[in-house]
Amino acid sequence: MQDMQTKPNGPVAAAFVAAGIGSLVLGIFVVLNEVSTDINTFLKFDASYGLGSGVGPLSGKVALATIAYLASWVVLHFYARGKEVNFSRWFMVALVLVFAGFALTFPPIFEFVVGLFPAAE
Amino acid sequence: MEFTSKELWTVLHGLVLGTLFLLAFAGGLAGLYSLKANLLTEEGIAERTPRLLIGSWVMAIVAWLTVISGTFIAYPWYRAKPPEGLDLKDQTVLGDFPRYWLLASDKTAEWHKFGMEWKEHVAWMAPFLATAVAFGVVYYGAQLVRRGEIRRALIIFFTLAFIAAGVAGLFGAFITKAAPIA
Repeated sequence: MQDMQTKPNGPVAAAFVAAGIGSLVLGIFVVLNEVSTDINTFLKFDASYGLGSGVGPLSGKVALATIAYLASWVVLHFYARGKEVNFSRWFMVALVLVFAGFALTFPPIFEFVVGLFPAAE
Repeated sequence: MEFTSKELWTVLHGLVLGTLFLLAFAGGLAGLYSLKANLLTEEGIAERTPRLLIGSWVMAIVAWLTVISGTFIAYPWYRAKPPEGLDLKDQTVLGDFPRYWLLASDKTAEWHKFGMEWKEHVAWMAPFLATAVAFGVVYYGAQLVRRGEIRRALIIFFTLAFIAAGVAGLFGAFITKAAPIA
């Protein structure tokens, strides 16, 4: 329940979940980059869009994760602003997303996941 | 005694920004942990809230600067490709190409395959998490003292940001020791 002397918690919950979304998107692109040569080529934002020089597919992975983070934050912020949300639930969702992202960047795990795709090289 | 510009950039990326990050984390964590009504007077809360704001925002800004400088300045030097014709199994000719130097030997290859592969990605979670914390601190300010569940969540995210940066920093130090950028 909200302490009536404080602001509603929605915007902070939105910021937490957005950080989780950014983390998960990063993890997903780490895996996809290894699964498909087409995606590997697509993620080379340094070559395609001049985002850095010699960075390779990491440029696309971090750019897309950052865009996902910022875009989801804006959307969730407007959804949750002025609201007192179930903070525990939102925070658990954020934690799950962060840990999923964390796991997908951990080489033994992302290599295992990549191995599940038959076309993976 | 002299540094190359590459060495200066890697020192800025790893040592200067890394130290600032550590300091900001320690200050921010202590501030968040002790922001409890039963530990502080109104004056005490007012006195330490600005410090908490500074600590959390410094941590977030430094986290962004660290990953941006690491990814777009230092990392291309690390993964620089040797010219055609060099023997990619001969470490003696790969000194200017750290990634390829590491991969040239089974004894060092895991520094790239495990260490660098993890470091280059997990580091980017730190600014996401630290920015969320900084936003929470700005949004609530001194009111955090009355929002225990949010203060605890901020501490958890703050710590996760530190762990992500810590993994990256630790492997960065080890990899730089094994295969320095010069």
